[in-house]
Amino acid sequence: METEEAQIARGLRGRDPEVLDALIEQYQHRLLRYLLHLTGNRAVAEDLFQETWLRVLEKGHLYDGRNRFVTWLMSIGHNVAIDYLRKRSPVSLDEMKDPEDGTPFEPPASAPSPFDMAAEQQQHERFNAALEKVSPLFREVLVLRFQEQMKLEEIATLVRIPVATVKTRIYRGVAALRPLLQGGPQ
Amino acid sequence: MTAREHERALDLIMRRGTEEIAAPESAWLNSHLSECSECANFAADCDSTGRLLRAVAVTASPSLVQATQTRVRARAAELQERQSRTVLIAISFCIGAMSSTMSAWLWWRFGGWVAQRLALPASIVEPGVFVAWMLPAVAIAVAMLASSHPVIDRSLTMNILREHQEGGRQ
Repeated sequence: METEEAQIARGLRGRDPEVLDALIEQYQHRLLRYLLHLTGNRAVAEDLFQETWLRVLEKGHLYDGRNRFVTWLMSIGHNVAIDYLRKRSPVSLDEMKDPEDGTPFEPPASAPSPFDMAAEQQQHERFNAALEKVSPLFREVLVLRFQEQMKLEEIATLVRIPVATVKTRIYRGVAALRPLLQGGPQ
Repeated sequence: MTAREHERALDLIMRRGTEEIAAPESAWLNSHLSECSECANFAADCDSTGRLLRAVAVTASPSLVQATQTRVRARAAELQERQSRTVLIAISFCIGAMSSTMSAWLWWRFGGWVAQRLALPASIVEPGVFVAWMLPAVAIAVAMLASSHPVIDRSLTMNILREHQEGGRQ
């Protein structure tokens, strides 16, 4: 029986618009979230989102269906973001943050009471602010590991670094966030 | 406690939640965490990071999704058209090359006959034969260039994109 990945690979080889539409629908939030964490700017992330799907269409024949589609998709998104940054070489990922855009991420889902909601929102705002201060290299692996729930080997394949480097980046990223996580100053 | 044990504990902490960890390994990790405050703190920080990251709600707007789907469809049609044209050009090139190869000998003989009958010098006849020999390929190239209008009408897609952009501006 054909696996889901094999079906996707077949659809991408044939550049089937129905398959692509369904994939865009299915992975819209995950891809945008990843690009947003990578760039820190919603407008840039949305541009890269569209660019990523165009590249998925063009490079679709390279997906063999052996790995999870989401890993391959994120690696395309990673490459698109890298290409964008190379074109804007003097600007680092941290500098790409829009100064006008104070709250890049939408507030979290509902909470039990207004008090709890306010406290939780404050915590999330502090967390997002702290996360943006973390080096993009560490931020990327943190997002892939803890938000996208990817395996260390998948992250290594996606970012094209050894597993040992993935572990080092996670360790350092978590260490950089520690003051906030332990309730200290941002 | 050795550095190797800490390294093993950190590896297991980073893997748990996304990968299957054998029961003995899990038991060993729990025992290590109860004794090692440094690793226990790291495990707690990983849990907090995951909890906070997963609570961040980022959603793609329906207009972004729709615009992406429209662009992808337009690009797919463009690639399809380009592929069709490439196949057509390749077939035409093969036909041109075959007909030129097969007719080369005949053209050369014909040129020789014309030169003999009209008493023309070789400096005129040889380039003439060459041009005549190239004629099928030239004719095909001209025909291909003349028909270089898009096979697929993309005006509808372009209109959708334009309307979407105008809607976004408003």
